[in-house]
Amino acid sequence: MTEPSPTETELLQRAASGDSDAFGALVQPHLALFHNGIHRILGNAADTQDALQDALMSIHRDLPRFEGRSRFSSWGYKICINAALMARRSRVRIHDMERSEPLALGPFDDRGHHMDQDRAPEWQVEAQAHDLVERQEMRECLTRALDELPDTHRTVFVLKDLEDWETEEIARHLQLTPGAVRQRLHRSRVLVQARLRAHVLGGRP
Amino acid sequence: MSFLPSCHEVQTDLTEYTEGALPFSRRAGIWVHLLFCRVCAGFLRGMKALPGVAKASLAAPTDVPEAASRALDAVQAALKKGKP
Repeated sequence: MTEPSPTETELLQRAASGDSDAFGALVQPHLALFHNGIHRILGNAADTQDALQDALMSIHRDLPRFEGRSRFSSWGYKICINAALMARRSRVRIHDMERSEPLALGPFDDRGHHMDQDRAPEWQVEAQAHDLVERQEMRECLTRALDELPDTHRTVFVLKDLEDWETEEIARHLQLTPGAVRQRLHRSRVLVQARLRAHVLGGRP
Repeated sequence: MSFLPSCHEVQTDLTEYTEGALPFSRRAGIWVHLLFCRVCAGFLRGMKALPGVAKASLAAPTDVPEAASRALDAVQAALKKGKP
C-alpha cells in the first residue's frame, strides 16, 4: 500500500521547519502560475528567472507568517508580483523613455472625426478575438504588443487589466499620480488594441 | 472645446471616462457622442473586452517552463546548503 500524499497543510508545516523537499512539493503545482505572473510584468526570460528565484526565497522565508487566511497560491502569487515590481525598479529602464504613442486609433479628419465612418471596419474584439483565444497566435500577438510597450506602460497595463489592481494601488506602487497611471494605461490599451485589430482584421480595409 | 467632442477627443479620454475621472460636462458629451458614433462605441467595447481576452490568452501554461524549474532547483539547493 502506498502512503497517501501529504496535504498542503502538512507540506506547509514541513517546509516552514526547513524541509526543502517539502518546499519543492508545496510550490511545484503553482510554479507555472508564479512564473507567468512575473514574466507578464518583466517580459524577459533571464530577469523572470532571477525574480522568481527571489520570490521563492521570500515565500520560504515568510512561510511561518502565512496564516492560511487566503489560499497558499494567492499568497505566493502576490509575493511573486511584488518581486517582479522590485526587479523592475532595480533594472536599467532603457525602454522607458516617453514616446509619442497614439492616444486614439484613426484615421481622423481635420475636425478629429473618423474619416469615412461608414467604411471604417467595425472592431468587435469581444466577438472576433474570443474565437482566437485558444490559438497560440493570439498569445504571440499579445506578447509582441506588450513587448512594444515602454516599461512603465507595460507594468500599468498588466497590473490593471490582467491583475485587476485599483488605479490608486498601482499609482502607490509605481510612485505615479493616478492621472499618470490612467494616461499610461490608455496609451497601452490603444497600442494593444491596434495590434489586435490589425491581427484579427488582417488586411481588411 | 465644444460640448460634443470629436472622435479623437473621445478616444483620448475613454480610460478617464470609464474610471469616472472626468468632470460631468465632459462625461455627458462623451456619452452623447458614443450614442451616435459606432466606431468610437466599438472602440470602447473593445477596450472593455480587452482584459478578458488578454487574461485568457496570457494565462499560465499547463506545463512548467524550464526556467521556473531551474529557479526552484536553485532555491532548494540554497536551502539545503544553508542547513546547519
